Amino acid sequence: MGAGGAQIASRMLACRELVVVRGDIPVLRGLDLEVRAGSLTTLVGPSGAGKTTLLRAVLGLEPVRSGTISIGERNLDGVSTHRRGIGMVFQEPRLFPNLSVADNVAFPLRVAGVSRASRLQRGPLLLEDVGLAGFSERRTDSLSGGEQQRVALARALCGEPEILLLDEPLASVDPNLRADLRRLVKELHFGRGLTTLYVTHDLQEAAELGDDIALMLDGRIEQHGPARELFARPSSERAARFLGAVNVVPVRVVAGTAHGEGFSFDATGPDGDAVFVIRPEHVRLTGDDGLRAQVEEAVYMGTHVRVRLRRTNLVLTAHVPAQRPIALGAEVGVDLPKEHLWRLPETSSRSSRSPG
Amino acid sequence: MRRVPAAVAVLPACMIIVALFGGALVGAVRTSLEPGPAGLAGEVSLDAWRAILTDPAFLDSLLFTSWITLASTAISMIVAVGLAHLIRGRRRALWALFGLPVPVPHLLVAVVVVLWIGPAGVVDRLAGALPFELIRDRAGLGIMLVYVLKEAPFLTLLIVAVWGPEVRAREEAAATMGAGPLQRLRWVVWPRIAAPLSFGSLIVAAFVFGSFEVPLVVGPTYPKTLAVLALDAARTSELDGQARSASILLVTAAVTIVCALLLVRRARADE
Repeated sequence: MGAGGAQIASRMLACRELVVVRGDIPVLRGLDLEVRAGSLTTLVGPSGAGKTTLLRAVLGLEPVRSGTISIGERNLDGVSTHRRGIGMVFQEPRLFPNLSVADNVAFPLRVAGVSRASRLQRGPLLLEDVGLAGFSERRTDSLSGGEQQRVALARALCGEPEILLLDEPLASVDPNLRADLRRLVKELHFGRGLTTLYVTHDLQEAAELGDDIALMLDGRIEQHGPARELFARPSSERAARFLGAVNVVPVRVVAGTAHGEGFSFDATGPDGDAVFVIRPEHVRLTGDDGLRAQVEEAVYMGTHVRVRLRRTNLVLTAHVPAQRPIALGAEVGVDLPKEHLWRLPETSSRSSRSPG
Repeated sequence: MRRVPAAVAVLPACMIIVALFGGALVGAVRTSLEPGPAGLAGEVSLDAWRAILTDPAFLDSLLFTSWITLASTAISMIVAVGLAHLIRGRRRALWALFGLPVPVPHLLVAVVVVLWIGPAGVVDRLAGALPFELIRDRAGLGIMLVYVLKEAPFLTLLIVAVWGPEVRAREEAAATMGAGPLQRLRWVVWPRIAAPLSFGSLIVAAFVFGSFEVPLVVGPTYPKTLAVLALDAARTSELDGQARSASILLVTAAVTIVCALLLVRRARADE
């Protein structure tokens, strides 16, 4: 952390039973979310899940029909956006084109009535923190997308907010610059002891950044926990599919053995119908052993080959090393390692697979 | 595609302005320099200029016109910003509704105002006499009312056209940085709307400063606005009436041109 940084007391952000309705359409449906004080939580979910709406509701930019939002002990009901003390980096940088880079960064100080002399000192320090030393007098339209987002980040931090929200800030940034910016976000977060909620639809980004990941589906938090737990133990079939565990294996468990269509494996848990999921990178193609399936599709993905396999009604996807030759139509053996199979909780597997 | 140089692009507009406005100005200068009753035909004379510049009614008229212009324009600007704030981001149909007064002739609005708020007008009949006089009042409130009714919607449309989603997005960003409504207006919205509002206001001010219909219908008998004074001078039977009228109109034009030049200079300095 540079000289422009300041450690602040972290506070928890909590949303309880939050309902936001746009027109007649409910966008947030009784959403509950706690962002631990000092944590960097990533919020993932498909388009239309309500991620941006949630951030806007937290900021007071979206009317909330019911539920509460609080920071620490402070309830934000009826508090105007400018009095919430929440920093925000939007998907687009939203810089002020009539101001220089330094004036953009120091805008929160100008709003707070800080003298121009102090602003002139603080702006460049924050720019240094985000790797833009020497950019103070530049016009904002002379900056690249990545540089503009760095300015937006410095500006959001200038007011020393209690909470920092970021809404897909790297969506319009060149892919080769994203890693640097992710590192920067992480450094600033830890350096300042912020409580940060970072929205993304990029699972890799979510896993790389988040202490915790909150998965949002249909206006609710479907699952919330440490990144590894989320990826390894999805709470429902929908969560599993969104998190990349696209292989859904319906079985009947009898006395510790799961029976599928012509295959079986050891299983824990109660007897009865069950659904197991396994990530494509954990599915192994064997020679003659294991479950027999036919190769329906093999697509080179750069780092691996994505193979779609079919055995009657069971369709599986496997990621195999790029150099391995795969023949379309060939019958191969498939191994589903027991340690990577995850049995979905009873209620979720039943509800998510029930018709209608 | 090759870009047309700016000077060439504005040439057609300049030609029309020079032909219409420049021709009229030359004619007015010539008329203003015609000799008075004692002069000889064909002689150049400053009698008309001398007459208006020493006439107390002219000075009163100049001050009154300036007051009407400044007040009407300022009020229209404030009302326009408020209206634009209300209708921004709403349906275009609402914009169109607010734009309805723009093509209505000023004279018609003035007549409607007289019918509504004049003595024995609709308001008098419904609510009794107004506590203040708006028609032919000495402060020119009636004139201002008509101009605000007419010009505020015009300025509103100019503002709302640039107060779009981009500006609103920046307003939201400013709010998250602690900026209250007035701070957002001052530091985020104003830089965007300043140019169209300034130039629109200049058009409004130039119109108010030079037009005669509204003051003629709802304005006081004294002081008169410059345009009404010029009209009266042109309609007198006095021999130097036309020259005095032309001189007054030239003063009007000069004030407008100077204001326009100052505004352009200011805009260039802001760039």
